[in-house]
Amino acid sequence: MIGLDTVATPVGLLIGIVCGLIPLAAGIHYKQYRAGIAGFIACALTGFGCGLIGGLPMIVLTYAVVLSYAYVNRQDPFTSRAALTEVDFSETRVESIQRVLANIGTGIRRSFRALTRNKAGFLGFLGIAFFILVTTFGPLFIPYEGEAQMDRRQPGSRVLVAPPSWEHPLGLDWKGRDVLSHMVHGGQRLIITSIQAGLIATALAVVLGSAAGLLGGPIDTVISAVANFILTIPGFPLLIVLAAVVDFDSDFMLAVLFGVLNWPTLMRAVRAQVLSLRERDYVQAAFVLDLGLWHIISREVFPNMVSYITVNLIFTIRIAMYSIVGLTFLGMVPLRDPDWAVMIFTGRQQGVIFLPQAAGMLLSPIIAIALFQLSLVLFARSLEEIFNPRLRSGV
Amino acid sequence: MTPVIELRGVNRTFIKDRKPIPVLQDINLGIEENEIICLVGESGCGKTTTGKIISGLLQPSSGEMLFRGRPISSYDRKEQAVIRRQLQLVHQDPFASLNPAHTIGDILGFPLKRHRMVDGISGVRRRIWELLTMVDLTPPGDIVNKYPHQLSGGQRQRVSIARSLTVNPKLIVADEAVSMVDVSIRISLLKMLHELRERLGLTIVFITHDLALAKYFAWEGRIAVMYLGRIVEIGRTQDVIASPAHPYTRALLAAVPEADPDLTRHKQVLRLRSDDIPSLSDIPPGCAFHPRCPFHVPGLCDGVVPALGDGPGFSQQVACLPLQQGIPLVVNQTSTQNAGQHV
Ligand SMILES: Nc1ncnc2c1ncn2[C@@H]1O[C@H](COP(=O)(O)OP(=O)(O)OP(=O)(O)O)[C@@H](O)[C@H]1O
Ligand SMILES: [Mg+2]
Repeated sequence: MIGLDTVATPVGLLIGIVCGLIPLAAGIHYKQYRAGIAGFIACALTGFGCGLIGGLPMIVLTYAVVLSYAYVNRQDPFTSRAALTEVDFSETRVESIQRVLANIGTGIRRSFRALTRNKAGFLGFLGIAFFILVTTFGPLFIPYEGEAQMDRRQPGSRVLVAPPSWEHPLGLDWKGRDVLSHMVHGGQRLIITSIQAGLIATALAVVLGSAAGLLGGPIDTVISAVANFILTIPGFPLLIVLAAVVDFDSDFMLAVLFGVLNWPTLMRAVRAQVLSLRERDYVQAAFVLDLGLWHIISREVFPNMVSYITVNLIFTIRIAMYSIVGLTFLGMVPLRDPDWAVMIFTGRQQGVIFLPQAAGMLLSPIIAIALFQLSLVLFARSLEEIFNPRLRSGV
Repeated sequence: MTPVIELRGVNRTFIKDRKPIPVLQDINLGIEENEIICLVGESGCGKTTTGKIISGLLQPSSGEMLFRGRPISSYDRKEQAVIRRQLQLVHQDPFASLNPAHTIGDILGFPLKRHRMVDGISGVRRRIWELLTMVDLTPPGDIVNKYPHQLSGGQRQRVSIARSLTVNPKLIVADEAVSMVDVSIRISLLKMLHELRERLGLTIVFITHDLALAKYFAWEGRIAVMYLGRIVEIGRTQDVIASPAHPYTRALLAAVPEADPDLTRHKQVLRLRSDDIPSLSDIPPGCAFHPRCPFHVPGLCDGVVPALGDGPGFSQQVACLPLQQGIPLVVNQTSTQNAGQHV
């Protein structure tokens, strides 16, 4: 759905390289070699991982960054120290597009610098990037072992499961399959479904919360009533019951179900924020200037909530991941190999949970999930710095 | 000449605790083209509410607002949008009136683009510079890419004014526009407003609780004194200051400190009967000021609500029955309960 759920393919690599040529060429043209090469790598990687969906936007972003380096010394008349009579604002279409792109590039660089400034947040970012890279590109290097490997039974052992060894750094699972291959192949689905679930819940919360706050009246009453109703039902047990009733043919359905059950808390916070932002003087000024409702929502109110919303998005993704793992652990969703959560489930089901040799098989997914969660929490810290102009523009 | 804006019998009530509170009552006010008119009065008397009604942020509960002699509602939708744009508001708090998420260039650019005030992107950028130069923020290039939090209060207030100028307004309501900036910057801001008025033919509605400021700023203009949601005195500033008519205006003037100690010493002391402003939910009958008025005439002032009218010996209009009927104002000793209170 968001383009990450494609496994790296040779075609993707080709697309990525072709995309990467554009920032590279720009880098050479403007003599910004480092930026050009970094852009090439970024394009190649995203193209490799996600094909056109990843490669094309990346061209724009990396090209903008290269331009922003090239334009450092080019004086924009808009920010010159001259007097009004001395400057000429006329420019060609191309020049104005380049200027806008360079501004976007500067913004990206500033955000990135804000990201690296907070050590904990940057660590979280690296953690998330690590898991995404491993689950996207890992499958290229580590083949998936789906079949039971009976021949790996240790002499004298009654089970196939084995602790870590040189050949199998994370050990073998209950069917004698390499745990590392399952780790590499089995994380993407969980991560993607959690992100989807978080996005759906957050999107519902933002749309409904803004509508309730800005429109008020009966719409507000209905939305708040539904939210309160959902809030009174205990979420996870309901998810279990629904999971038993609804037949999930796709993970996306699970994400939707999670989203539908988890928007109310954030919705109420968004609504309260919109209500308070609506009374701000600058929003009133926008009304007096007749800038239109859409402008007021998207440019006046939303930018002041965006850091709050993204931090919440991160936490919703966390909760979604726990819920999905919980459901899988209880066996309430169709089990499909390979999957981190399914590894825990089968570990329990097959009774190897009590065997010391099974530590590799059980702890690997648990630690991976815990680390991913930790990365999310740490990353959330940086978001505030990225979105708050007070903190960002110190650059 | 027809006034640009005229309020006719405007009332405004707010609902508070399920009870209607009359915040404005029977406001009649004509504002001439290119004039400066000051609204003064104590906190809570409805100055901001009047300003918001003029700038279209609030609708009157009853009564109507006329633009160039015709009720606003009689214009078609498009014309109404244009009219609304021509009536702008500058807020009091320079820290709250600019969106912290946008640069100054963006803040000024939004209305310019939205209403196509100028052609093309280069036109917008040139206009932003022009506006910043107009409000003495120079060099403009230093300001355009800054965020509001990087500017001082005075600079922000100038940006606020520049923003209201983006849409070529006819009238600007400046609601306590200088009361939150440093005293040293006030004078230059006020001078700038004066210059803008002359250059652009603006009409300025200047709202303040400070009569000294009103006197300074609107010396060539008019003053309307408000008390508990009504205008009690209105006239040329010079007349109102030189010979205040309404007892409330006199009390306000008596409270203005003078720089000259001699003046202060010889100033007439006006003792109000009470310092407490009555609550809007419990407005006294008759003249709302009579429970505090040292000159009140029992049986006259507490009966009917006085309307604005001429008083013999005054060139301004005043809402005070004894004055209108030519009864000399004498301190009503018998009923002075709160003697010794100096306002
Ligand atoms: N939205 C509202 N809802 C309820 N009451 C309101 C509202 N706006 C204003 N009021 C009340 O109306 C009265 C007049 O308010 P207004 O802001 O017009 O006074 P003001 O003269 O500007 O005072 P100040 O000098 O303190 O700014 C106050 O008593 C206030 O509590
Ligand atoms: Mg006010």
